[in-house]
Amino acid sequence: MTTLTWPSLALNPLAALGLLLAAGVLGARLLSRATDLPALTGYVLTGLIIGPAGLRLLNADLLLQAELFVQLALGLALFDTGRRIDLHWLRREGTLLISTVLYATLVFAGLYTALQWAGLDWSVSAMMAALGMATSPIVILELLRETRAEGQLTERLTAITGLTALMSYTVFALAIGSARVAGHQSTEDSLLSPAWLVLAALALGVAAGLATIPLRRWLGAREREQQQVLLFGLIALVVGAAAMIGTLPSLAMLVFGLATRNLQGGLTLTEPGLSSRSQFFFVAFFVAAGAQLMPRSLTDNWLPALLFLGLRSGLGLLFWCVAASANGLARARGLWLGLALNPLSGGAAMLMSLGILSVGSHGSRFAGTMMAVFVISEIVGPILTRLALDKAGESQKEA
Amino acid sequence: MLDFTHSAPLTLGVELELMILNRHDFNLTRASDDLLLQVGRRQHAYDIKPEITQGMIEIGTAIHSDVNQMQLELYSIRALLNECAEKLNLGLAGGGAHPFQHWSRQAIYPKERYHLVSELYGYLAKQFTVYGQHIHIGCPDGDSAVRLTHYLARYIPHFIALSASSPFFQGVDTRFQTSRLTSVNAFPLSGCMPANVHDWEGFNRYFGHMQQLGIVASMKDFYWDIRPKPEYGTVEIRICDTPLTLETPVLLAAYAQMLARRCLNDPSLMAPESQYLTYSYNRFQACRFGFDGSIVADEQGGTRSLQEDVLDTLQALEEHAAALGSLEQWRSLRQRALTRRTDSDWLRKVLEDSGSLSEVVRRQSELWMYGRGQEG
Repeated sequence: MTTLTWPSLALNPLAALGLLLAAGVLGARLLSRATDLPALTGYVLTGLIIGPAGLRLLNADLLLQAELFVQLALGLALFDTGRRIDLHWLRREGTLLISTVLYATLVFAGLYTALQWAGLDWSVSAMMAALGMATSPIVILELLRETRAEGQLTERLTAITGLTALMSYTVFALAIGSARVAGHQSTEDSLLSPAWLVLAALALGVAAGLATIPLRRWLGAREREQQQVLLFGLIALVVGAAAMIGTLPSLAMLVFGLATRNLQGGLTLTEPGLSSRSQFFFVAFFVAAGAQLMPRSLTDNWLPALLFLGLRSGLGLLFWCVAASANGLARARGLWLGLALNPLSGGAAMLMSLGILSVGSHGSRFAGTMMAVFVISEIVGPILTRLALDKAGESQKEA
Repeated sequence: MLDFTHSAPLTLGVELELMILNRHDFNLTRASDDLLLQVGRRQHAYDIKPEITQGMIEIGTAIHSDVNQMQLELYSIRALLNECAEKLNLGLAGGGAHPFQHWSRQAIYPKERYHLVSELYGYLAKQFTVYGQHIHIGCPDGDSAVRLTHYLARYIPHFIALSASSPFFQGVDTRFQTSRLTSVNAFPLSGCMPANVHDWEGFNRYFGHMQQLGIVASMKDFYWDIRPKPEYGTVEIRICDTPLTLETPVLLAAYAQMLARRCLNDPSLMAPESQYLTYSYNRFQACRFGFDGSIVADEQGGTRSLQEDVLDTLQALEEHAAALGSLEQWRSLRQRALTRRTDSDWLRKVLEDSGSLSEVVRRQSELWMYGRGQEG
């Protein structure tokens, strides 16, 4: 008599993706029926519940398998955010550019000083402060899609998000280089490494932009569907190529988007808009982000995490309240803009893993503190942004 | 009883409704308040105000007798608006209808009258996110205004063809030269002044009756193609699409002024009541085919092309153009009629070349704001 064996019930990567999407959407719907929270908070909480810190339906291996979708989601969001940086406007409206640079510098300086004061190593402080400069492009785009927000606060929010992400990734690369100098690696390596991280990403983004516009034109003006497929293909290619050559995919994608927006013939490259087609990837991204959270990190790191987020938020509120008038906004709207900038960069988790390798023995402190920051920020950040958009009267309720 | 304010005959003013666009995908954006806030921070004496939905803004000129002065004023208003729009990263554009906006996404401007219109007309109010040019012509008294209103009704198809700039609506090519008027037609009080109103007293009788019936409260409730405007002392032509460039509105105003001069100078010129039998048909032909439309031009049912009708009318108006100092505008109008060139044709050509409605609106915006791109 033969014995029947049950097939393994462990999830394979495809089933894991299915679970990410289905559970994410259902969880978000459940939350929206009970509360008025943004859908993406529902995705993150669902991920937290089904992830390693909760029911363990998803383990670390499966999350690694889903990394492809997460990377692509981030790539799409950064590309789209890069396309919101309008150099034509920034040239004419220099106040916004100057304000954004000052704001990012202030946040970096404030966070660095505070983290040093809290006793963290200087290299850890520098990397955390660099990550704190940026607002999450993917969170902002998803919230703008969900709320259909329009207006001057929204316009400035997207531009600042793109610019601060650009600065954050650049400063982060320099911080890694500095950490490597301190780690007694050769001076040549330490200079080349950040230079490669930044310059190769810039070159890849610009090259992709330069290639995309003529390729799209060659396809023909009426082939909009094929143009969209080409664009998705090139976005995936650039994300993959950036990883292959060891540079920052996030920076490359931002520059790719920025180049296509501002080079001649690229203005209407993404018609129809990418956001509706990116939705699958975005849901997977947020559920995976939630699954990667480790609430236990709060036990040891709640104080520096709260200090980090409180200071970052406070500086943003203060700065944009003061800079509101120069930027053509009423003071109250400046405050809402500061509040809306709260969500921490969605690419920060990936950069964090890069940073851990560079700070040697301080890696666990860096990882623990940043994880605690993410646990709070991933859940609270989008709620604050939604509140700001509502208060500023720029989100649109259904007619 | 409506009193008709006296105004200097043949003086002119124009109002233009403009699109407010984001510069990301060139869709309409709800930014009229932000734009008006910026405009309000600058020293000026121009008439710039909100319209029914927040993706619209209206500009109006002062009263002019010389169309060249009107042109200069329009350039100044544009310079001011451009400065404000650039600060806010907004685009501005002419054109009778936005090619791909969705009406349900529009937001009613927070003003009591607009809320009342929205309450009464439901979705029609948001569908009214279309953009027109209004031309005011000064009249000495109410009787002249009624006579001029009837007289100009005959030439409504001309104004439609000369200003047509809305071939696309809600993302599709309507195959009309102007699709905007379909949105206006949906209103129950659209159309034209009744043919049996012959003087100001008759107009007042009609208005009083409509008021008694509770159908109208003010002149604003009439969405006619052309109507007397007693508080301004003018006749207001409301049929034109907002043109794509800043020069065409002045040509249209000059044409209205030439026609009005002919009418007011010759009291024997009376429009027959029977012209209203063919009014809607001729209007449709102009909307659908522009200069290629075929209109019924006389009571015997003779048809002719709209192009021919415009050219003949212009021929008869040459002396009036010379007297008004607008021969340059007269020549431009004639050239347009001869080439049968409309803004709608240009918009279709841009779509054919680019395959993108966003690109179409971007080019519209470049054309209106900076006067460049039409040659391409």
